[in-house]
Amino acid sequence: MDWLDFFQSITDGLLFGSIYALIGIGFTLIFGVMHKINLAYGAASIAGAYVSIAVAAYVPLPALVTFLIAAIASGGIAFLIYLANFRFIPLASPLATLMATVGMLILIDEIVVHATDGMPQPYPALFADIYIEWGDFGLRGDLIFIFVLSLIAMVVLMFMLYRTRLGIATRAVAQQPVAAQLAGISLDRTNALTFVITGLLGGLAGAMIGASVGVLSPLLVVPITVKGLIVCVIGGLGSIPGAIIAGLAVGAFENFFLAFRGVTERDMYVMLLLFVFLVFRPGGIFSRSVARD
Amino acid sequence: MLDSKLVRLGAVAALAVGASFGAQSEAFSAEKTVQIAGFGAKSGVVRSFGINTEAVLSGAIEAVNAAGGVKLADGSMAMMELSFYDDRCNAEEGISVLRRIAGSDAVVAIGPTCSNVAEPLFGILQKTVGDEGDSGLQIPVFTDTAIKGGLAKISQWAFRNVPNESEMYRALFQWIATEHPDLKTVYGGVEEDFAHSRFTWHKVMKERSPEAGYEVLGESKWLLNDTNFTTQVRQMKKAKADIVAISAHPFTTCGVLKEMKRQRVKPSLLVGLTSSSSMETLQGCAEQAEGIIIPTSFAPVTEAAKAAADAAAKHEGSADLHSAAAWEIVMILKEVMEAQGIAADGDSVDADRRKIRDGLANLKETDGLLGKIQRTDEGEAVKPYLYVHAQAGEWAILHDPSQ
Repeated sequence: MDWLDFFQSITDGLLFGSIYALIGIGFTLIFGVMHKINLAYGAASIAGAYVSIAVAAYVPLPALVTFLIAAIASGGIAFLIYLANFRFIPLASPLATLMATVGMLILIDEIVVHATDGMPQPYPALFADIYIEWGDFGLRGDLIFIFVLSLIAMVVLMFMLYRTRLGIATRAVAQQPVAAQLAGISLDRTNALTFVITGLLGGLAGAMIGASVGVLSPLLVVPITVKGLIVCVIGGLGSIPGAIIAGLAVGAFENFFLAFRGVTERDMYVMLLLFVFLVFRPGGIFSRSVARD
Repeated sequence: MLDSKLVRLGAVAALAVGASFGAQSEAFSAEKTVQIAGFGAKSGVVRSFGINTEAVLSGAIEAVNAAGGVKLADGSMAMMELSFYDDRCNAEEGISVLRRIAGSDAVVAIGPTCSNVAEPLFGILQKTVGDEGDSGLQIPVFTDTAIKGGLAKISQWAFRNVPNESEMYRALFQWIATEHPDLKTVYGGVEEDFAHSRFTWHKVMKERSPEAGYEVLGESKWLLNDTNFTTQVRQMKKAKADIVAISAHPFTTCGVLKEMKRQRVKPSLLVGLTSSSSMETLQGCAEQAEGIIIPTSFAPVTEAAKAAADAAAKHEGSADLHSAAAWEIVMILKEVMEAQGIAADGDSVDADRRKIRDGLANLKETDGLLGKIQRTDEGEAVKPYLYVHAQAGEWAILHDPSQ
């Protein structure tokens, strides 16, 4: 492998890693607010993208509108997940909600499979035919678009969290739920809105994955769930900046090892990275100290 | 007088009772059924395979029954009856399903969809017929879809009606060499974690193409649920091969073809995996797949093949190279059952299974939708095939090697 291949693989990985970052943010935001893992998050993200192409099948839509519908649909599905798996299930039992979301993941996946017979569905993309080349170095136009769109989504999220009353309420619930309630903040409403916001991000991520591959398939659900959880752990559970950096890093890391060691070893190194963080930096990238027992 | 009336009345009554019994006997005979069990993936990402197989099986059994059914050993006719099970393309589920089928009245099992199910599943069948020390299941399994090479030899109860890919790709590369003598090099793309695609690249395409004079320049690998093919296609681009052979299923085949278009990788010729000669590929990436050549053992080019395709459509499925094999299997089974003289009563299940197995094992040639199918001693089929290519969103016949 020469330097060009090295930079090429890292750059491709960084661009694609922005999708992992979006997924990771969703996992980490829910964990930050509710201290729960929503394993159905990836499935909801892909389901949102499926809803958008179902709508587009009836009404021809520009790609951007299709992406927007995916985000909205996923936000709606995320709200339903909140109601089904969190709102009416005793939160004191961590396993109850975890297993409920596993069930929801399988349910959503099978609904998609039954609706499409598992057949790949073409998904619209923007700038899919643009490929920018400098000699042997090249960049995919659609991945650049995805990267920029993901960055915009992250900036909007950060603005919402740190500059709006909803964001303040969300952070208050994440930090001190009891105090937040005493201050008049509704836990249920804040939790539900957090699910909807993460759903919007997830739907966008699902649409971006569909756009980058050009095809939607239920096969996408498990990989993005696994990658989202890895990003969430490496970034630090509950840390949004950590999820962003970890998403980009995991994308670059896996693409480098794909080019350097091949696809059969790629995921081994990603898992090794996860173990390294769990052992040496369990609090994630931005943790202040090695917070181990 | 009264006595003679009573005698006549008694005689009439006796006749009536006799006729009634006769009618009942005929009714019983007509109600005899031959239980056929089908199984395949009807959930998960390969759900369409199971749906198509079930549709084709239903259509074929409907056709057999419409023609009177199956003639039994006692000369009566029995209707075929299908039960279909979902194995989710999962080995454990497949084994569980086969155990259920073995415990039922089904005289034969048709399936499974996936090679990763077929391989362990054949392993729980009795390896050698009549081996008292082997407690493996004793039910003939006739496979329509699981295509990975050489699986039927695992058990003498296993039979397959799947295309012989080794022969198909050998002939395809020879034909390409004749038709395009200017092409010299091949580059492979393989879905590395799927039994069929992996086998077909490493043991078929990669070995058969050099026999036709091609130099294999290298290979790119990806996984079944990968989403980013940038690096692999870049490797492909660097190789500058004349022919790119993609051994992958429709989802990643489409992902790779779209990435190839993006990076302007334009080989002179594209060759695809047999399983990709389906509607899934055209639905996912018809434009990018334009021109890809795939050998297939099914196309609706004969009257029988058209009938199979129509029957599948009637049952809301699609006949393709995998599912159409199920039609042939049903027709083969009907002939074997009649030749072997099965009884199809409740007590004869084990004996009927053995008769069907023996009949299948003795077959040397059967009728197929595209022509005669040769049977090997290992329970495999050598089927006629065609080369199709994607053309304007449809699979069009490119060449018939038998012509």
